[in-house]
Amino acid sequence: MARAATTSDAFNAIAEPQRRELLDRLRDGERAVGELALEMGMTQPQASKHLRVLREVGLVRVREAGRQRLYELDSSGLLPVQEWLGGFERFWSESFDRLGEYVQSLSRSQGEGDP
Amino acid sequence: MNEPIDRQIVVSHVIDAPRELVFEAFTDVRHLSQWWGPDGFTTTTRAFEFCAGGEWVFMMHGPDGTHYPEWIRWQEISPPERIALLHGAFPDDPDAFESLLTFEQESGGTRVVMRTVFPTKELRDEAVEKYRAIEGGRQTLRALGEYLRDISGSSR
Repeated sequence: MARAATTSDAFNAIAEPQRRELLDRLRDGERAVGELALEMGMTQPQASKHLRVLREVGLVRVREAGRQRLYELDSSGLLPVQEWLGGFERFWSESFDRLGEYVQSLSRSQGEGDP
Repeated sequence: MNEPIDRQIVVSHVIDAPRELVFEAFTDVRHLSQWWGPDGFTTTTRAFEFCAGGEWVFMMHGPDGTHYPEWIRWQEISPPERIALLHGAFPDDPDAFESLLTFEQESGGTRVVMRTVFPTKELRDEAVEKYRAIEGGRQTLRALGEYLRDISGSSR
């Protein structure tokens, strides 16, 4: 099976269900990688690998605290996804679609009588 | 000029109609109420005056029944080329953001570009989040939106 470059952008990074679960678990704040691994029933290296992918696309930040590595959400990395899913941009894009349909109906009614 | 790239959102759209007509669709509530917002959205206008310094105070209603207070002050109106406006939730909203609409005649029709600049990156992110939520309420009711459009189409 062909493998997508998982580190290229946020879209690839969140395509992986376990990485989405990691993001969910970070919603309430900073967490240690060991805790996350334990909760999700994976090894610490597996969790670290997923978290590294998330970090590389700007979805999480990491800091060292003693012997622990603590991860937290970096929501700025999700912006492109939010916008694609339908934020401000999609709202207006769809309004402008309706504007186009409306203006064409105006145009037709003004052109009535023409062949 | 600095480019506040992380504080702005640009939406560009080509409409298959003459520029004057596209511009006209912004000038009156009678027109605006026919297209403002995605499918299934409606508006109720409290006050409207289309002139520089004039305001549009209205409520936007989502298809899921949520009401969103809206306020727009037209800053500059140059028919049929550009409209600058300030957009917030209530009169003189300190978090209001500026949008500049430009209308350009092209071979395929009229290109409408809306460039919105938010006061801060945080407000930009908030707007994205707010509109994502608005859109989210709509997604589940897409079928209703289409139904409403069909009804309005067949009643002509």
